Amino acid sequence: MRTENQKAWFFVLPVLALVAFNALVPMMTVVNYSVQETFGNNQFFWEGLGWFEQILRSDRFQAALGRQFLFTFLILLIEVPLGIIVALSMPRKGFWVPVCLVLMALPMLIPWNVVGSMWNIFTLPKIGLMGYFLNDVLGINYDMTQQPISAWVTVIVMDVWHWTSLVVLLCYAGLVSIPDAYYQAAKIDGASPWSVFRYIQLPKMKTVLTIAVLLRFMDSFNIYTEPFVLTGGGPGNSTTLLSIDLVKIALGQFDLGPAAAMSLIYFAITLLVSWVFYTLMTKDDAQ
Amino acid sequence: MRKLLLTLLFLPSTAFAQVQSGWGNVGQQEEKGFSWTDPLWPDFWMAWTPATLAVFVGIFSAIALIGVLEGFKYRDGIERRGVLGLTTTLGDRLFITLLGSAYIFLAWLGLVGQPVWTPLFVSVGWGIFVFWKV
Repeated sequence: MRTENQKAWFFVLPVLALVAFNALVPMMTVVNYSVQETFGNNQFFWEGLGWFEQILRSDRFQAALGRQFLFTFLILLIEVPLGIIVALSMPRKGFWVPVCLVLMALPMLIPWNVVGSMWNIFTLPKIGLMGYFLNDVLGINYDMTQQPISAWVTVIVMDVWHWTSLVVLLCYAGLVSIPDAYYQAAKIDGASPWSVFRYIQLPKMKTVLTIAVLLRFMDSFNIYTEPFVLTGGGPGNSTTLLSIDLVKIALGQFDLGPAAAMSLIYFAITLLVSWVFYTLMTKDDAQ
Repeated sequence: MRKLLLTLLFLPSTAFAQVQSGWGNVGQQEEKGFSWTDPLWPDFWMAWTPATLAVFVGIFSAIALIGVLEGFKYRDGIERRGVLGLTTTLGDRLFITLLGSAYIFLAWLGLVGQPVWTPLFVSVGWGIFVFWKV
């Protein structure tokens, strides 16, 4: 049965108008800037596709892109399984449910730049609690302002701390929606805990897990504030992720043309990976 | 006296020669024809050029055309499973075409460089393939 009523489209119109102003107009401007050169004063000179060529071939962009992919890969590798494990071990009913939920929601309520400065102070060697503990109590040589490895570990741990709870809460919502009858049937059949997870819990979590992976991919691929406040992209260039490099080009060097070209390439990558994720994860549903 | 007369006689002809050789245009704005790459509205911050405007007009009219086709012509049975194993509608195929073309152009620019005639033809071929088979 098809419904012939098309009135629902009118409810979408306000969103369409909003998107036109906050996404479409800036997007079109970026496309215009990416093929021109400007020295300010709203004067533009045609450049063609030269900026794209320059950006794609620059070692700086390729290095930042590599760091970005490594960062996002590590984030997904840690946060998704960890989120599932935490969600599985949370209580389903009783006194501890709201306590766990509030504890899980807390990190996400903190603004990004506050998270960055919190972790900056927390991990500074000598004065930070964690920095002091690692260096002077455990005797581990740790200094995220000097050592690239320490800086990477800190940025990743910070992101895991901040965003794993998103995966947890989404998975938990999926788990709670499973009726008890499924578990009873599994018990009667003598299913192992792994089979229960593989054939009952994982399929039921699939939809929310799709959303969780997509959100975590997009957020971690476009991350700016937290590593910028924590390390400023340093030491050296070691934690300069794509968006940090982009802002350096656009606002630091005021090279609007190359920055526009770079952000379009950035956008194309985000779009493709999100589309591939979404298509792969919803492919079976369509059959 | 004869000299002066001769000079006066020839003065207009020199002026004519000047006009002929283009000296009369010195200091004046040169009349320029239409260019795809010049600013369309100078001093406007969105920095439109006819070329970029044409790109967006093309994209939006393609979306509009697909929308009209999906909404009125092929109301039912538009989805199909193509060679990639994906179930696609016309809109999906347009999206795949556009995104794929962007990557074809970027790959060519990164690996080979300008001009971009080859990726243009490859993209058109890709679009035909997507609408035909995917």
